This record gives sequence, C-alpha cells and structure tokens, in this order.
Amino acid sequence: MAVIELRDIRKAFGAVEVIGRANLTIDDGAFVIFVGPSGSGKSTLLRLVAGLEDATAGQILIDGADVTHLGPAERQLSMVFQSYALYPTKTVRQNMSFGLEVARLPKAEIKARVDGVADILRLGDYLDRKPRALSGGQRQRVAIGRAIVREPVAFLFDEPLSNLDAALRVEMRIEIAKLHQRLGATMIYVTHDQVEAMTLADQIVVLDKGAIQQVGTPMELYQRPANLFVAQFIGSPKMNVLAVRPDGSALVFADDSRADFGMPVPPSLAHIGFRPEEVQLLPAGQGHLQGKVEVVERLGSDTFVHVGLGALGIITSRMPGNVLTISQGQPVGLGLTMTQLHPFSRDGIRLS
Amino acid sequence: MSIVGKSAHSAKFRRNRWLLTAILSLYFIYTFLPLFYVITAATKSNQDLFSTFGLWFAADFQLWENLETLFTIQDGIFLKWMANTAYYSSVSAIGAALFATFAGYAFAKYTFFGKKLMLALVLGAVMIPQTALVIPMFLMLSNLGLTNTPLAVILPSLVFPPGVFLMWAYIDDAISNELIEAGRMDGAGEFHIFSSIAFRMLMPGFATVLILAFVANWNNYFLPLVMLNKPDMFPITVGLAQLYSTAISGTGGVLLFTVVMTGALVSIVPVIAAFLIMQRFWQGGLGAGGVKA
Ligand SMILES: Nc1ncnc2c1ncn2[C@@H]1O[C@H](COP(=O)(O)OP(=O)(O)OP(=O)(O)O)[C@@H](O)[C@H]1O
Ligand SMILES: [Mg+2]
Repeated sequence: MAVIELRDIRKAFGAVEVIGRANLTIDDGAFVIFVGPSGSGKSTLLRLVAGLEDATAGQILIDGADVTHLGPAERQLSMVFQSYALYPTKTVRQNMSFGLEVARLPKAEIKARVDGVADILRLGDYLDRKPRALSGGQRQRVAIGRAIVREPVAFLFDEPLSNLDAALRVEMRIEIAKLHQRLGATMIYVTHDQVEAMTLADQIVVLDKGAIQQVGTPMELYQRPANLFVAQFIGSPKMNVLAVRPDGSALVFADDSRADFGMPVPPSLAHIGFRPEEVQLLPAGQGHLQGKVEVVERLGSDTFVHVGLGALGIITSRMPGNVLTISQGQPVGLGLTMTQLHPFSRDGIRLS
Repeated sequence: MSIVGKSAHSAKFRRNRWLLTAILSLYFIYTFLPLFYVITAATKSNQDLFSTFGLWFAADFQLWENLETLFTIQDGIFLKWMANTAYYSSVSAIGAALFATFAGYAFAKYTFFGKKLMLALVLGAVMIPQTALVIPMFLMLSNLGLTNTPLAVILPSLVFPPGVFLMWAYIDDAISNELIEAGRMDGAGEFHIFSSIAFRMLMPGFATVLILAFVANWNNYFLPLVMLNKPDMFPITVGLAQLYSTAISGTGGVLLFTVVMTGALVSIVPVIAAFLIMQRFWQGGLGAGGVKA
C-alpha cells in the first residue's frame, strides 16, 4: 500500500538527458501504466522508482518518505522483469523464497508464504522444478510469485507479457487484473501494448522523448488527448489528423477545399483530429471532403476503410460489422461533426 | 538463380570432407608422434632406447623396471616432485580461476572509474609471456624473502590475464543484467548475488579457466627454476630437467635417460585425468530457462 511521488525527477546518462523533470503522483492502490514509443524512457522511469537507477536530480517519495537515496530492497518494492530473470540454478520454491531468506524471515513463515502464493498462482505442482523445465507462462507466474511473496508496498512490471504468445498474453493480462483486485496493491506497469494499457490501467502515463505528455484515465486520454502526440499514440487505428486554417466559421484544408460548420472556429486552430469512428462515409459529392477508397480491411467485427484524399493524404474510417457496400476504387464523401473534432494549435497542443 | 546448399550427397561436399580428414589426420600425427615416442621410450631399456627404432616398442619390455627406478631414485624424490607439482598447480589454478572470475565479473557487470584503462592493461598483459617477467619477479620476491618457498611459485601464478579475459567475455554473455537486478530487488548484497546466483551459472567458464591455469602451471618450468633451488621443493619439470642434465653429463650413470622418459610419461597422466574430471562442467546451458533469450 503506497503513494508514490516523483518530484522534478531528471535522469541523464553522461551528457544525454533521458528523463527531463518528471512530476507524477501515483495513488495508493492505483494501477498505473507507462506507455510510449521505444526509447521514450518508460523503463528508465520505472527503474528510477525501483532504485535500480540513481536519479540525476529530483526526489522520489513513497508514502511521504524520501527514498531517493535508498537501495531497491529498502524501498520495499517488487519488480517483474521482461525476461523473467528467474535464478536458473534454483528451483521454483528457491526462486520465490530467496528474497525472504535474504530478509532472514523464519523458515516456517517462508514456507507458509511460498505455499500460499504458489496456491494463488497454481504453481503448486512445479515447486521443485528448475525454471528451464517450465513453459513461458509458468515462468512468468513464477516471476510474479517471486514478487508477491515479499509482500511489497508496490509492484513494478516492465513489459512482463511481451515474451508470451498472443493467447497467453490475454490470459495473463486477465490474471494480472485479478491479482490487482485481490491484493489491492499499487502497481506500475510498462507496456507497448495499447490493449494492455487501455484494459488494465486506472491511470495511463504517456511518455515521449523522456517527458510525460499526459496523465489520465484511459477514457480521458482517448476522448480528450492533450496534444497531437497522445492523440495519435492512443487508439488503434490511430487518430486521423489534417492540417487546416480557420476562415470565419469555416475550415480551409491544405488543398484549399473548405468545410463550413456554421459554428465559431478557434482562431489559433492549425490541426484537426478525428478518430476513425468519428468520420462518416457518405455517397460521393456529399459531406465535407471527397476521396476515393484505396484499401478495405475486413476484420469481421469491424471494417477499416482507408480513403485517399489526394494531397491531404489518407484517412481511415472504421465501421462496425462487415460492410459489403464498400469496395476499392469507389469515390466517397466524408462527413465530419464539428463537436467531435479534436482541435490542436500549431504546436500540437489541444485547444478547448 | 537459386542458392543451392552443399548437401551430404554432392560431389563437392565429399571432396571437401576428404580434404578435411586428410588435413586433420596430418595434424593428429604431428601432435601424437612425440607423445607416442615418450610412451615407447618409457618401455625400453637404456641400450634399446638408442639402438632400436624410436617409434616402436623394443623386444625387451622394461616399463615396470623403469617405473621402479623412477620411484626409488634418490630416495623416491620423484614422488616428492609430483606432490610439489600437484600442490603448486592446484593452489595456483584455483586461486587464478577465482581471481579471474572476480575480475571478469567486475569488468562485465560494473562500471567504475578507470575500467577502460584496466581492461586495456589486462588485454596487454595477455600478450606478455610470464617468462619475460620472471627475473623482475625474482628480484621482488627475494627482497620479500619469499624465494625458495611455495609462495614464490604460487603468488605470480595467481595472475592469469587470459583467464580474466575469458571470464569477462563469458560472464558478459552468460549473466543478464536483469538477473543481477532481480537479486538486488530481492535485497541481496552484491557479493551474495555473485556467490549464490551468478557463480553457479559460471561453472563452465570457471572450469575452463581452472583447467587452463592448471595445465599452464603443471607445465611451468622457468618460474620454479628461477625461484627454487632446493631439490626437494622442485616440481616435476625442474626435477626431470635436473635428472636429464645429470644423464648427459654421464655422472649418474647412463640408465637415467629412460627414467627421464618414464617420468615425463607419468607426469602427463594427472593432466589427462584432470581433463576427464572437468569434462562434466562443460555441459553448458546452465543459464537456459531463467532468462528468456
Ligand atoms: N544505461 C544507459 N546508458 C545510456 N543510455 C541509456 C541507458 N539506458 C537507457 N538509455 C537510453 O535512454 C533512453 C530511454 O531508454 P528506456 O530503456 O527507458 O526506453 P523504453 O521507453 O523503455 O524503450 P523500450 O520500449 O524500447 O523498452 C534510450 O534512448 C536509451 O538509449
Ligand atoms: Mg523498456
């Protein structure tokens, strides 16, 4: 149980600044997910919290206590690594009890805790095996078990599922969600995976180039992205963005076509964004923009239609179900709704 | 055009395989002949040694007599030499392998001030033969009053730069950083992580360095020659050489040549035994399973 606070945290490797002035408060019991492109500093930020890296500047507080200069174990956190990092020469039981032995807990208590956790994670039958005799999913559960037995104040996960195949990933995702409900512990979780982020998180922290871009619930990020980066990073297929300039109550696109919504347009507007489900496909000649269907992707549950707009590029429209009336090469009109548009300034900052 | 691999049935493959076999056979003969000479020589009487064909046994099989002479000569000093060699080389090898493992681990897993320079020094030291350093080391150790003690042979042998280099490369590969970090998260200190997690994963590397250092020390001649001057402290190499020089000067009687040969043969046996014993540590794959590749 812990509130974790980062205050003006900076991290540089030599002259290269990797994390710049991060401020973040993670509530007690929250499930917080760090997402961002590769190299954005997710792992570094997590390792700073873990104490595996020293902060160049700033403070880290756990439940109000300054832990900036404490080692990993003294922070009472547990971490699950992407590679599992199980001790290969130890059995599953020894892997889980190692940390408790280091902490010199009584033997009986160690046994009780390991047995209890093995029970939760269905590892009872494997306690005497070495990691190499386990499947990927079992290894992952051992790694999680090793984190749980220590009864840490918070759990840290660095892409724990990325080595598993797709089916197992879904299964483990649900197990982790259940675990969070059951333990009620604070969890920080790094992932590349949109779906993991959207489904698991209470709060998502979006990182880019070592800076926190936005912190919010999955729906806040989806519905009100704070900038163009978040807008395009969250959601799949990603948000369509078109450059525009305001002209009274009309928008003028880069190819000088106009769309008049009959409503006031913010004067500093430079880009509009709209999700694939926020654009309507209409018969040619209708709507605000005209284009031609270039590719149709049918997933069964959804149909993604990629429409070429000439000089404006390609935008994507998503329609539920398998839409049979659309085919490649067909000219179409696109209908937008002013109230659903995401307005951004020249610097990519959300307006309104 | 498609790329066709050489299959076991293609003419080219067969030709290459014949060539390879021929080259390796030549190499085998080249390395095995001297050993075979030692084996046959150890079974001959002193007259036969010079009068019969060197690469085959003489009619008169004298191995047991030669062994008896070897182990009784000068009140059984050969046994003393063997014990000395075993003592010097096992202590040196274990020590050298341990230090090489510590150093290799530090180079592979820690960043510290002067690391690059120290690594360069180790690499440079690999290229300097110990022989070149023996005289300065003798002067140093004699100032410390350590010559003519086992330490005079053991201390210099604890420094084994090729072992450091080998362990550095091996550890870099065999132990992932995440594994060490997992140990840190579990609250273990650095030495505890090294001894209870890393070390057992390093056994194949450790065994390799151990055997290399063991053989190097077992065969070392120049260092003990310079450091020791009491015959009952000699290792086999120096002792046999002394017997040999007695033999060519003729003072100890000519029968000594076959005894030297028999001594050489006996001195190889423990090295071969050591190889066979250490073999089981080369199983490899110890790290498999803990960390997903
Ligand atoms: N030990 C280090 N020394 C120097 N630079 C480093 C070090 N560790 C990380 N970096 C740099 O810091 C930046 C952020 O790395 P980090 O591992 O945090 O990214 P990430 O968001 O976790 O990426 P990924 O999704 O690929 O895991 C990268 O540019 C990386 O090259
Ligand atoms: Mg990472």
